[in-house]
Amino acid sequence: MILTVARKEFREIIRDGRIKWSALILAVMLVAALGTAGQRFADISTERAAAQEVVNMQFAAQGEKNPHAAAHYGLYAFKPVTPLSFFDTGISSYTGVSVWLEAHKQNDAEGEPARDATAIARFGELTAAFTLQMLLPLLVILLAFPSFAGEREAGTLRQVLSMEVSPVQLLFGKALGAATALSLFIGPILILGLVGLAFAPGGFGYLGHGFVLVIVYVIYALIFLFLTLAVSANVKSAQAALVVMVGFWAISSFVFPRAASDASRLLYPTPTAVSFQANIDEAMQSGLNGVSPNTVVQQRQEQTLALYKVETVEELPINFQGMIFDLQEKLGNEVFDKFYGDLYAIFDQQTGLHQMFSVGSPRMAMQLASMELSGTALTQHLEFTGQAEQYRRDLIADMNRDITFNSEAGRADYRAGPELWASIEPFEYKPASLATLLSRLGPSFMVMFLWLALSIVAGVLAVRKVKVTLG
Amino acid sequence: MRGFGSVFVQEWVILKHNSAWWATLGLLLVLTVLAALNGAARTDQMAGMGQGLNQGEMLTQMALKDSVMRWEETKEGPAPSVASPGALGLSVLSHYTVLPPTPLAALSIGQTDVQPTYYKVTAHPALNFLNDAEIQNPLNVLAGSFDVAFVIVFLLPIFIVALTFDLMSKEKERGVLGLVLAHGVSKTAFILAKGAARAVLIFSLLLLVGLAAVILTEPDLSNGAMWLRFGLWFLVVALYAFFWFALALFVNSLNKPSVTNGVILANLWLIFVVVIPALVNVAATTIFPAPSRVELTTEMREATEVADQESAESREAFFFDHPEMVGGDANADQFFLQVLATDSAVERAIEPLMEEFGTQAQNRQDVVDLLQYVSPAIMAQNALNAVSGTGTERFSDFSEQVLAFHEKWRGFFTSRIVKGSQMTAAEFDQIPTYDHKSLSTEELLDSTLIPAAGLAFFVLFLGVWSARRYAFYPAV
Repeated sequence: MILTVARKEFREIIRDGRIKWSALILAVMLVAALGTAGQRFADISTERAAAQEVVNMQFAAQGEKNPHAAAHYGLYAFKPVTPLSFFDTGISSYTGVSVWLEAHKQNDAEGEPARDATAIARFGELTAAFTLQMLLPLLVILLAFPSFAGEREAGTLRQVLSMEVSPVQLLFGKALGAATALSLFIGPILILGLVGLAFAPGGFGYLGHGFVLVIVYVIYALIFLFLTLAVSANVKSAQAALVVMVGFWAISSFVFPRAASDASRLLYPTPTAVSFQANIDEAMQSGLNGVSPNTVVQQRQEQTLALYKVETVEELPINFQGMIFDLQEKLGNEVFDKFYGDLYAIFDQQTGLHQMFSVGSPRMAMQLASMELSGTALTQHLEFTGQAEQYRRDLIADMNRDITFNSEAGRADYRAGPELWASIEPFEYKPASLATLLSRLGPSFMVMFLWLALSIVAGVLAVRKVKVTLG
Repeated sequence: MRGFGSVFVQEWVILKHNSAWWATLGLLLVLTVLAALNGAARTDQMAGMGQGLNQGEMLTQMALKDSVMRWEETKEGPAPSVASPGALGLSVLSHYTVLPPTPLAALSIGQTDVQPTYYKVTAHPALNFLNDAEIQNPLNVLAGSFDVAFVIVFLLPIFIVALTFDLMSKEKERGVLGLVLAHGVSKTAFILAKGAARAVLIFSLLLLVGLAAVILTEPDLSNGAMWLRFGLWFLVVALYAFFWFALALFVNSLNKPSVTNGVILANLWLIFVVVIPALVNVAATTIFPAPSRVELTTEMREATEVADQESAESREAFFFDHPEMVGGDANADQFFLQVLATDSAVERAIEPLMEEFGTQAQNRQDVVDLLQYVSPAIMAQNALNAVSGTGTERFSDFSEQVLAFHEKWRGFFTSRIVKGSQMTAAEFDQIPTYDHKSLSTEELLDSTLIPAAGLAFFVLFLGVWSARRYAFYPAV
């Protein structure tokens, strides 16, 4: 029986052609977005890889130098891109793409692409994710809004219900019909996208992510489908169903994210760049716990002299200057850990607020999940900067160790050679595994399943009521 | 125009008793007031921070001047290290150049969260401070701001469409139209009266909302420049609202069922507000892409390394660029000279790339300026940003003024470093300060009235076209 209903619904949608235009817009935008995504991935991944290679070579080709001078010279870590990061660019336009790794200092990523964009970019970037998040729900709404309300106006709803069909069968039949019509438009494009992903350089490893993405977007579409059917069964006219659903879509998709962003700014303000830097400078000068770095160095010197039972640092078997550098570096790192830790804790609170708002907006839950799976969420950006910072600390420690053990006290003219630079492993960003991503997505998945369950229940309740009121 | 008056009055009576109407208008009012308050909170925060920055550095400068002054009085011991222009200009001092918010800044956040509203100018190459950014959660920047411009550009059309999509189709579906025409009311009068009743309501609401926003957010209500901006704001908002009105009227003239009108208008909203802006953005960035920031990074690094290695040569090149400075004291502080030489070598190396950034950005903006006429939403957003002083043009004007100031600031210290002279206490008062020159009224009018004219054209075009169609609109 469900199949009969589905077949009728499907045929009607195709004949009616009311979604002809929106389906066409969606298809054109999806194809354009996926096409440019492929091109941009090819361009940018080559560019970043080449730049990383140049920087690594520059570091290796420094010639004879004091290791501390090499540490000051440092190198850059470039954020690598994955094929999926162009399916959903996420926050990529608003974060830097490279971090300078140098002695004494934890730098922020720089070179946000948004700085080069015009104001129009703020309407939204043309990506497949944006298209699916914004247009897919509207298409579903236009597809399904007259399902019940239209039949009620035409008077056929009473007839159908007086036959052997149960209301629930009717609901699922209509859902199946609409879903079939929908997948006719979107299915081929998504399959093409997955094939493209499989053949993109390095894309094969992201097929799993791609499949999960497809499933999540299908759930997203189903939420709007059942919601629309529920509303359609509940209201008097098709027109009212359309107004209610378009209103809900607009408010939840457009107003909620902005409201979340401004509320999080007001509730959990981030420090200004100026005060953030001033606090770090202050802590660097006077120490985190009131003991100044100079005192700590002094104490360490006395301890070391006592340990080796000598009077002056010149008598030590090692170059004490290297130990001082290392100690200063560690004290600095504690300062960075404290202030960046505090800052990221605020970011966490802000993101938490976005997650709370997503309870009222399927699009926000969808967006958070989509970014995470595409590798363009804030968590992944912080993972990149975190790994780059760890690499910096290891690099500087290596340089200081070389000074400590391979040179003599008081010899500032010590020079290390290419062997030392070559002994440094190049920076490589290790992205989190799919399993880790999925475990992080708990809240977003929960919100989406909740919405799906609620919309199905609402649909079932609404169609049951139809029978009662007409009977 | 027989019957205009009676239909108009009757329409008012109907609307007065329509609770859905009042709920919709109430929601619009609440959203706008919230957005205005939110915008004001952000503008206040920014203005306060700008002042704090300059106060801090004035205190530093005064303290330094005092130490030099004390030494000048006694001349005991060596001069304080801050009397060296090299130490001052290349490591101690910096100057925050702050972009002051214009009146009505609270109504559109615009590019404020992406572009810097202040720079920390030093005597080093401009690239060192041009890239500095304010700390922000990128997730918040991605979502955008809930400001009045957003309510106007994105939400107002939905409200207008929801209130007008069945303007004529409903009357026809209920058989009212035929009945009314049978009573001798002219078709034109009927349409105009119905439209006018709604238009009067919505425009009074917009005026009310705008005034409420101004009163809530503007500290100085006697400011004439602010009221000029408010006039422009209302003009743009009214034209944009008229556009959606005209569009709804036009769709009604197609003589389709109400539901079909709703579907068509939802699609048109999508096309004008979401699809076209995204496509225009892709067009602009594909035709004139920004040069690679990654390349800039590696280029700069290469140049620094080369400059360090060939320090002696680059010092000569520096004097080649600045022949007026060769005659200075040969005993100038070698270290700071070295720094200057490296700086200038790096600057010269990346200059072509920097120029490319500038021209490509200008080209991109030109494309957007041209293509904005395809979508009233883009025109409205651009004009509203311009009214609030938060558009791309104002930020690029700001960075140009800062770059000019940077030359002045750097020149002040460079000339003294090269001469090898010491700073006297009196000279501390001559250290340049940044004074932002606002865009002229003509420029403001240009950047708002041109998009407004585009909007007016859309309104006229749709109006005339609909009028022609309604002449043949069947009554039953």
